[in-house]
Amino acid sequence: MDMTAIFGDYTAIAPLVFLIVAALILPGVQLLGKNRNITWAVGLVLAVVSMVVNIMMLTDGYVGAALDLFEYNAYSGLLILLFSIVLVLMLLVSNASVETTRFNTGAYYALIFAATLGMMFVVLSSDLLTIFVGVELTSISSYAAVSMKRNDPRAAEAAVKYVVVGGMSTALTLYGISMIYGLSGTTDIAALAAWVQTLPEINLLLGVGIVAMVAGYGFKIAAVPFHMWAPDVYEGAATPLSMFLATGSKKMGLSVFFQIFLVMFVAVASVSFLGETVQYLFAIIAAITMTVGNIVAIAQNNIKRMLAYSSVAQAGYILIVMAVMSEYALSSGLFHMFTHVFMKGGAFLIVGALICAGVGEMISDYRGLAKKAPFLAAAMMLFLFSLAGIPPLAGFTSKFFLFSSTLYGMEGAVDSTWVWLAFIAVLNSAISLYYYARVVKAMYIEKGDNTEKIKVPAPFMVAIVICLVGVIVLGVYPQLVFDLCESAAAALLGPYLL
Amino acid sequence: MFIEYTWLVPLVPMICFLLIGFIGQKTPEKGGYFAIAGALISFILAALISYEYLTGDVYPAPVTEQIAWFVIPGGFEINLGYYVDGLTCVMMLFSSFISTLIFVYSVGYMGDQGERRKRYYAEVSLFLTGMLGLIVSSNFLEMFIFWEVMGLCSYLLIGFWSFRHPEGDAASANAASAAKKAFLVTRLGDVCLMAGLFILLFEFQSLDYATLFNSANIAAVDSDMLTLAMLLIFGGVIGKSAQFPLHDWLPDAMAGPTTVSSLIHAATMVKAGVYLVARGWPLFIQNAEVMLFVGIIGGLTAIIAASMALNNMNIKRVLAYSTISQLGYMILALGAGGYLVALGLESGSEELIVAGSAGMVAGCFHMMNHAFFKALLFMCSGSVIHAVGTEDMRQMGGLHKHMKITSITMLIGSLSIAGFPFFSGFWSKDLVLEIAMEAGSHEVWFTVLWVIAVITAFMTAFYMFRMWFMTFMGEEGHATQHCHGESPKTMTVPLMILSVFAFASGFLILVGLDAIVSFDVIPGGFQVGGGHAGGALHYFEHLFTNPYTYLTIVLALVGIGIAYLMYVKKSINPGMFNKDGESWLYKALTKRWWFPDLYNQISWKVGYGVARGVDYVDRQIVDGTVNGLSGAVVGGGEAVSKAQTGNVHDYSSMVLIGVALLSVGFLMIAMVLGGI
Repeated sequence: MDMTAIFGDYTAIAPLVFLIVAALILPGVQLLGKNRNITWAVGLVLAVVSMVVNIMMLTDGYVGAALDLFEYNAYSGLLILLFSIVLVLMLLVSNASVETTRFNTGAYYALIFAATLGMMFVVLSSDLLTIFVGVELTSISSYAAVSMKRNDPRAAEAAVKYVVVGGMSTALTLYGISMIYGLSGTTDIAALAAWVQTLPEINLLLGVGIVAMVAGYGFKIAAVPFHMWAPDVYEGAATPLSMFLATGSKKMGLSVFFQIFLVMFVAVASVSFLGETVQYLFAIIAAITMTVGNIVAIAQNNIKRMLAYSSVAQAGYILIVMAVMSEYALSSGLFHMFTHVFMKGGAFLIVGALICAGVGEMISDYRGLAKKAPFLAAAMMLFLFSLAGIPPLAGFTSKFFLFSSTLYGMEGAVDSTWVWLAFIAVLNSAISLYYYARVVKAMYIEKGDNTEKIKVPAPFMVAIVICLVGVIVLGVYPQLVFDLCESAAAALLGPYLL
Repeated sequence: MFIEYTWLVPLVPMICFLLIGFIGQKTPEKGGYFAIAGALISFILAALISYEYLTGDVYPAPVTEQIAWFVIPGGFEINLGYYVDGLTCVMMLFSSFISTLIFVYSVGYMGDQGERRKRYYAEVSLFLTGMLGLIVSSNFLEMFIFWEVMGLCSYLLIGFWSFRHPEGDAASANAASAAKKAFLVTRLGDVCLMAGLFILLFEFQSLDYATLFNSANIAAVDSDMLTLAMLLIFGGVIGKSAQFPLHDWLPDAMAGPTTVSSLIHAATMVKAGVYLVARGWPLFIQNAEVMLFVGIIGGLTAIIAASMALNNMNIKRVLAYSTISQLGYMILALGAGGYLVALGLESGSEELIVAGSAGMVAGCFHMMNHAFFKALLFMCSGSVIHAVGTEDMRQMGGLHKHMKITSITMLIGSLSIAGFPFFSGFWSKDLVLEIAMEAGSHEVWFTVLWVIAVITAFMTAFYMFRMWFMTFMGEEGHATQHCHGESPKTMTVPLMILSVFAFASGFLILVGLDAIVSFDVIPGGFQVGGGHAGGALHYFEHLFTNPYTYLTIVLALVGIGIAYLMYVKKSINPGMFNKDGESWLYKALTKRWWFPDLYNQISWKVGYGVARGVDYVDRQIVDGTVNGLSGAVVGGGEAVSKAQTGNVHDYSSMVLIGVALLSVGFLMIAMVLGGI
């Protein structure tokens, strides 16, 4: 179907239109209908329609711009698809989870849709300022959503931390942007990429700008040392929301890194001092982030905190892309982002489902789960092993792509500069197995206090099955999505490669 | 016509796994018959494939067929496919055959386990899938995937008793920690393996066997990197095949059902490591030092494990140590043979290459024989445990009268492993010793290893017969009085079939088993037996003219004799050697040379300690410093009100510190690179 016939000049933002409509009408629907099931159904239908529209545009290979601000191509299409998967998974369980149904339904859904909208804004943008606005839309909506779990003091504390630290990061980002604008006279990233190539040597003011922006956006992806908020917030927030933040909002942060720094420096990577300095900066952040995330995760007893630290580590893996700066690395990074949605999302969903069934958040609460809920225990085991990178699950395939991308330089020639990073990453995967195996051991090997069967709400089961299918199919047949990742990487970096 | 269907060999047990998983509880034996049928079909297929391959025109060149699985830009693609050569044939034949017998035996052994049998049969089917997949894989990545599948299944199977162990809660907890240990220790090896595979990928731009095992391609790569890669890959072998210093997980893995031990020790899992060395042989033999290292690890493992079996009282643990020890033999044979080939390649001496290739024959031959007699021994011990309800040999004794079939079949197995003349273990063990001796004439270390291997052979004969005498001869122990009598037919028939193989599989070397070896070390290919060279047979001319052979035979007989005097005649008191269990050596052996304690110290104290430490630093010290700093910055009053504000401002100060660190990092990098 030709989308331009329906949406005309607005085709590029067609998937967003449905979300804007949803964000605006859902509070009204709730007010008039007074039935949270209706509100939920309307929201879900709009989200699914948006996803379908986007898939059709993506498979048609649509490329176009709208409103002089947004540009839709294979890259933005792929990430919009990722965000809509997260949104749909999140919506599926929101009406069934005891944690979210107590919220003010209309406002909750409006915030979620607004946050997703912000993510999609970001990936459609190619200007520092529009990206900034998109990130803020997501952040502010998330602060509010986290704080909705008012009866829980942990949530209140988490929300306050989130707002204060988030505010600082915003300030830093803005400072960095103004620095770069002052030096270059533009906020358009394509123009910045061209400008960087003309720089004779490292400019310290540019360095200040870069550091401020890396710090600001580093907060969004919880890169070490800007990770402190993540475990508190993921632990304190309602579990579906933790999933949303860990899989959706973090992916937006990573995309920001790709869209700004990768695009700006890819042409000078391994060529100029500036390019190399930026590469090494990211390589060190990546190594520290994955190591700290994995090591601290070992000591966690709360499963949500453990998953939070594991998310920190996963962001470290994906930051390998920023060190290697090649098209192949980017496509592997995008693929890992996709598989991460299913495995980490699935793990959080199971935690959420079990909370609904009255099981606690501590690892010790999972003892004997294999008897009480055989399917959930098996699914959890697969998600965790996928996160640890055990074949033939999706996590293995995507980590294999990601780590092997360090071996190849720009034109596919073998390059040994970043092999050490791959070694650190492989070692980290081994460490991570330790804490994942702890949960599996609790579920399968330790004895529970009873063997009563646990029943979880049906929507959770649907969402978990979707994730499970994703984890297995992407592990066995990665080409399904990897082709899309490759065209996305080509669309983002193509114009900047010599 | 059958070789095209090689991919079915691992697929059939996989389908059985799914069938059992979905409808197992509704079928008789909770899916047991599916598991048996799956293994049997795989075995029949393997037999047809092997027949077609070994009599076909292509032989001895390998047959490989692949389809593209996914493509990675940067010039290489990952394929899925099969690779059939002599090694593949031997491995898949004995794995599927022994697995079939173990599954039949399980029907009797696990008969009283009720609904849990479904989980058991599903997991063993998947386990077999892992092993067969590993064997027929056409590239290292595919192999690695099946390698991990097997690791996962072993985790589940070893932990099988973890709830409701027949012997109570303490045994359950034991099973749980054993499973975790097996999983994590082998994972440590797997990390090395994965790193090694990355280097191979980096050097060869491919992981396909067809590309890697090509002498022209090998000559083109950086030999130092290749050496590093092979050392790392051998790290994976050390983990999986329980070699020193990662040997400690295997004795603990005895916590699983005995059938699982049998599966892990004989047909699958630990054989995967030895298989990997044999499979990667063309790459391993590029460096003599690597092969020396392999040989030393093998020899050390053989004697350390054998020493620990000397005074153990648990029937399954004695067998576990003997497995480790025998695996050491296989690795030693591969190392010594590889060393000779590596020397031959350096000096261009075809004679050395021929001599060394017999080392691979010896390793694989011993692996096959070991599979038969160790499966037999484990299943016999399972039959005994089933009948008397304990694993402690002090409570057994005099069982021969009650269980004649088990007793005689176990005797055959013990004679075979002890290297009694004309039993299968005799042929392969002496071939291993021959190779070590031969390598010893070029490198003195191998002479030392030969001595170690001969001592180990003596120890093996002693502890195996100590076990057999303690179990079946002598006075009736406490548990013997409650013996249920001989086990059911489903258990004894597999024992009898296996005992035939445990006795006779050694004769296969006389009818051309040595012809299986085929690899490409010099352009144009090279075969022992099957083609250019004379084969391992010429060693058997030596065998009966060689005084050392008689030395090992005599030592084996002496070992059996001492065991007889100690445990049947009681004319020698075992206590006089160990001061009644008080001597330093006795304690060292009981404590397994303190390896478990060492690992506990390392993994628990250090590993967990580091994690706790980092967490503490993350939460307290960084926070505390930040707190102090922010207090100083914002002012004294603020610092006092910390209680009200929580540690939000600590976190925000953390952001600022992070920025400072980043800026310093940026400057440092720029300076190091020379940009400023």
